[in-house]
Amino acid sequence: MAEAAMAERRPDRTRGGRHDEFWAFCDQGELRVQSCAACGRLSWPVVDECEHCGSPELSWARMSGRGKVVSWCSFEYDYYKGTLPLPYDTILVELDEGPMFVSNPKGFGFRDIEIGMPVKLAFLACEDDGGPFQLPVFERA
Amino acid sequence: MSGYAAAKMPPALRELSGRAAIVGLGETDYDVDYKAARAKAPGYEFPTPESLARTAFERALADSGLKRDDIDGVSVSFLYGGPSAQETADLLGLKPRWGVETSGIMAGPLPAACAAIAAGECDTVAMIYAVASRAIGRKYGGKTFDGGGAPLSYYYHHPWGWSSQAAHWAFVWSHYQSVYGATEADLGAVAMQLRENAMVTPGAIMRTPLTIEAYLASRYVVRPLHLFDLCLVNDGGVCLIVRRADKAAGLPHRPVVVSGWGESKVKGDKLDTLVRKRLAPQMQDAGRQAFAMAGLSPADVGHFEGYDAATIHLISQLEGFGFAEPGGGLEAFKRGEMRVGGKTPVNTAGGMLSGSYMHGWNHVAEIVRQLRGEAGERQIAGLEASLFSLAQTDQVHPIVFTRGTQ
Repeated sequence: MAEAAMAERRPDRTRGGRHDEFWAFCDQGELRVQSCAACGRLSWPVVDECEHCGSPELSWARMSGRGKVVSWCSFEYDYYKGTLPLPYDTILVELDEGPMFVSNPKGFGFRDIEIGMPVKLAFLACEDDGGPFQLPVFERA
Repeated sequence: MSGYAAAKMPPALRELSGRAAIVGLGETDYDVDYKAARAKAPGYEFPTPESLARTAFERALADSGLKRDDIDGVSVSFLYGGPSAQETADLLGLKPRWGVETSGIMAGPLPAACAAIAAGECDTVAMIYAVASRAIGRKYGGKTFDGGGAPLSYYYHHPWGWSSQAAHWAFVWSHYQSVYGATEADLGAVAMQLRENAMVTPGAIMRTPLTIEAYLASRYVVRPLHLFDLCLVNDGGVCLIVRRADKAAGLPHRPVVVSGWGESKVKGDKLDTLVRKRLAPQMQDAGRQAFAMAGLSPADVGHFEGYDAATIHLISQLEGFGFAEPGGGLEAFKRGEMRVGGKTPVNTAGGMLSGSYMHGWNHVAEIVRQLRGEAGERQIAGLEASLFSLAQTDQVHPIVFTRGTQ
C-alpha cells in the first residue's frame, strides 16, 4: 500500500474500450500506440479508425520510448481546480517512431529544455477516479 | 418551409463567386455588456442568445434599409446553445423559405448562404450569431472539455494536465521562439498593435493603452503566453444581411461582395501540423481555392482579418497566407506593416484580442465597414479587397471579400 500512497493525483483519463487497452499496456511498462494494417501509419491519441486513412484495422505497436522535445508549456491557470498544483510543466515529444506525444517532464523543468533535446520514457505512479495507473512521462535521455 | 438542415460548406466554384453580397450589419454593444458583466452591478441581467440575436438582427435590418418581409432566408449560429432556426424566425417575425443551423463559428455559414442564394432557394438571408459565453461561465480548458465535437487534442490529455485552447498556442509559441529566436517582447508588438486598433474602434472592449511593460508584467495563463496574448471572453451577437448580388445595389450602404472561399482541414498528425507547420499547408491550399474562385491574387488584398485566438496564431496566419515571410511576422508587426497605413493592415478593429470575441463574425463585420468605407479614423484608403481567415487548431476557412457597386 506504500506505493499507492505515493501515487500522484491526476485528472481522469479517458476510459473504455481501446482506451483501457492503452492504459493496461502502460501498467505493464509499455507505451503502445495504434498501428494501421492498411496504411502502416501510427495514430495517437487512441482512435476507432486510423487518423490517416480511416481504416478500422488497428493493432498496438510498442514504442521504443525514445524521442525528442518539440515544444513545452507551463500551466499557471488552474484549469483542473486544484487537482494539479500550479505551476506544472508539459512537453510535446516527437517519438522516434513519429507520433507527437503530449506528456510531462520528469526530473527537469521548462527552463532546462532545449528544443530538440533527446528524452526517454519513464512511468509515474498516479491515480484518478478510476484507480491507480502508470502515467507515461519523459526524462532526459 | 419544413425543417432546417445543418449548413453545408459549398465547393469553391468560380460560378459561385460574387453571387451574393452583405448589405446589412448589426452588432450588439460589446463594451457595454462586457463592463456591466464584469461590474456585476445589482440588478444586472446577463444577455441571452435570444436578446443578443434580437438586438443584432434589428440593427442589421435597419442598416440594410430592407423590410422585414424582404428576409426570406435565415441562418442561425448559436455556438453555446440557443433557439432553433424556426424559433429564431418566429422570435424575429420572419417567414423564411430557406433556413439552416450552423456550428456557430464563421467557418462555412456565409458560403452556405451564398450558395443557397445562387441556387435560387432564397434572395435575402439574415445570418444571426450570438454567444453568451461570459453569461454561462464558459471555460476554455479543463474537464469541461469532454468531446462533443471539439478536436481530440482538447480533451484527451487530462492525466498530463494539458488542456485548453491556450495550451495549443503555447506549444506553437515555444516552438516558434526556438526556431526563429523570437522573444516575448517581440510577440507583445502584436497585442499592442491590436490594442491601438481597438482604441479607435467604437464598441471595442479594450480601449486603454497597452504598453510593452504592462504586457510583459501581465500574468502568464499558460507560459510562455501572457494574459494579453489570449483573446477576450465576452457576450455578444452579430447579424449579417446577405442578399442576391443583382438586388444588392441601391440600398443605403455599399454592398460587400463575397468573392471567394476555401476550406482545408487537417486529418492526421494534428499536433505536428499545428506546432511545427503552423497550418501553413492548409492555409496555402485553402487560400489558393479562395483566390482562384475570386479571380484575384493575394497582391490584390489590402486588408487582412485573421482569427486571433492568440497573438502567435495570428502570426501563423499572416505567414501562412503569405503576408509575411515564414518567421518574419513579428518583425513585420514591429515595422508597422500591419497597421492602418502600412502594407497590410491587420485586425483593424482590434480583433478578438482587444475588440470582441465573436468567433470570426467580428472580423467579417470589420471587413464590411472597411470595404464600405465607413471605418472612420481607422479607414484603409483605397481598399478594394479584404481577406478573412478563420483558422482553428485543425481547420482553415478563408473568405475573399470585394468592394461592390452601390
